[in-house]
Amino acid sequence: MADKPNATKNVLIVGVGGQGVIMVSKVLAQLCQADGHDVKQSEVHGMAKRGGGVFSHVRFGPKVWSPTIPEGEVDILVALEWAEGLRWIKHLKPDTGTFIADCQKIVPPFACRNRKRGAEPAYAPQTPEEIIDQVHAGYVMDATGMAANLGNAKASNTVLLGALSTVLEFPEDAWQDIIAGTVPPKSVEINARAFAEGRAWAQGGEKRIDVTASGLHKAHSEVHHPQVDTVVEITAEWCKGCDICVKMCPERCLRLNGQLKAELALPDLCTGCQLCSWLCPDMAIKVTNTPITEPAE
Amino acid sequence: MKDTADKTAFDVNHWLRQDQMPHFLCPGCGHGIALRALVWALHDLGIDKDKLAVVSGIGCSGRLSAYIDANTFHTTHGRPLTYATGLKLARPDLHVVVISGDGDALAIGGNHLIHACRRNLDITCLMLNNEIYGMTGGQVSPTTSEGRYTSTTPAGNTEPNFDACALATAAGAGFVGREVTMQVLALRDLIRQAVAHQGFSFVEVLSDCTEIYGRKNDLGASPEMMLAKKSAMRPFAYRNTVDVPFRANHLKTGVIARNERPEYGAAYRAMTAALRDGGAE
Repeated sequence: MADKPNATKNVLIVGVGGQGVIMVSKVLAQLCQADGHDVKQSEVHGMAKRGGGVFSHVRFGPKVWSPTIPEGEVDILVALEWAEGLRWIKHLKPDTGTFIADCQKIVPPFACRNRKRGAEPAYAPQTPEEIIDQVHAGYVMDATGMAANLGNAKASNTVLLGALSTVLEFPEDAWQDIIAGTVPPKSVEINARAFAEGRAWAQGGEKRIDVTASGLHKAHSEVHHPQVDTVVEITAEWCKGCDICVKMCPERCLRLNGQLKAELALPDLCTGCQLCSWLCPDMAIKVTNTPITEPAE
Repeated sequence: MKDTADKTAFDVNHWLRQDQMPHFLCPGCGHGIALRALVWALHDLGIDKDKLAVVSGIGCSGRLSAYIDANTFHTTHGRPLTYATGLKLARPDLHVVVISGDGDALAIGGNHLIHACRRNLDITCLMLNNEIYGMTGGQVSPTTSEGRYTSTTPAGNTEPNFDACALATAAGAGFVGREVTMQVLALRDLIRQAVAHQGFSFVEVLSDCTEIYGRKNDLGASPEMMLAKKSAMRPFAYRNTVDVPFRANHLKTGVIARNERPEYGAAYRAMTAALRDGGAE
């Protein structure tokens, strides 16, 4: 019970459901408790990728009065996913806060609203360099990649725990003991190695960005979806005006005209998904997608 | 039969008799979607039109064979499976697909269906279930849901309806599946598996009859009927869930049963060949 911090230390762990936010906070809370601190932990887990929140507050110190951390009072923010980290970064203490994030990207459905082929997802545009400049200390690491190299990408949360351990003053053995007691028995060994790797990586400097993380925002262009030229042909003589294509079109770009024949009212919205042609009982709609050949540079 | 054809190059007009189109089906009839799914599956399997025989009975579903540009039979009410059995035994090189309706396959041809399942000859039977006799004036059929109004049940249907897939499974069909018309791609893949299966395969397509059944029961236009059908099903992914907290599931979709039994045609040919050889000696 040596050297207790005078004030309460606040750690906020955020991520996406299933990544292990709860496991990280559980390890941290148990460790603090074993060290003689008063610990309060509170969590919300509710569909981060649908706009909800998955986060866990861990507060420890000589005496903790409230389980939740006020905005702007977080000492250490641990983000298991890049955009989630950016979402909570304003909770960090402006002058002394430490930002630890995995550069892994999980693109949420509402970032893919533009369904045109070749459209970029509306994912967080900030680069790791911009974010690191804003915080007192920051680590952006490819925890998922490191864990995958060790044999199981699920251990990425333990890699981040390794990075977190360099910021807090607990002995490495104590961390390892708690982790071994928390994770499933068959994954004890890989978690121990993941922790050691994350710790070793974070000891390399106060503001570190993994090489993979700096290439974070090139990921979109690597997956190349060619743009297509979509032509929707509607055979008016075959159309019986059943309304199926109009109601089922995801972009609502079809309508029935005065003669109750389907027509393409808003061709700009059409993404060429072909659903109307598949569902037309009268075989009246034909959608052809021709890839646009890009001019040679 | 291989599953390697270029799936993007599918053109439905290649499979249709252009002089017969547009077809006679009512606006929004699900049978048209089932027709597209069927010829799409046949295209994906790389089946030659000359090696395909489509046999159909009487009713709205019976007319579909007239629109497919292949060898087609439009046979008597309830008997497409018997014609198909004779055809397949005489010409084992043909892919025989039977298009039948719910009244056709379960009421008038119910007997033939169970014996075709029992015999396990390599035929694909597509039963388009729209819960009503559409063409003859909207009479009650064996699959009409309880409480529904038809022209012969003006106060609502009091009979319980048939689970055709359970019937086919119990009678010993080699492959049994069910899908809704809303899920075109899933329906196409199901039909593809059914046609590729060696033995009797039975696929129930839950179609919608907008003009007669939907109108009489106030079920809305065809888009509403299709969506309601889809949401009333339990998809393959939720197959093993025991309790259904958020939706009243009625029927399962996807592959319902697979029963690997000896195919009848091969056994029949082996026996006739043995008898012929024995007689010559």
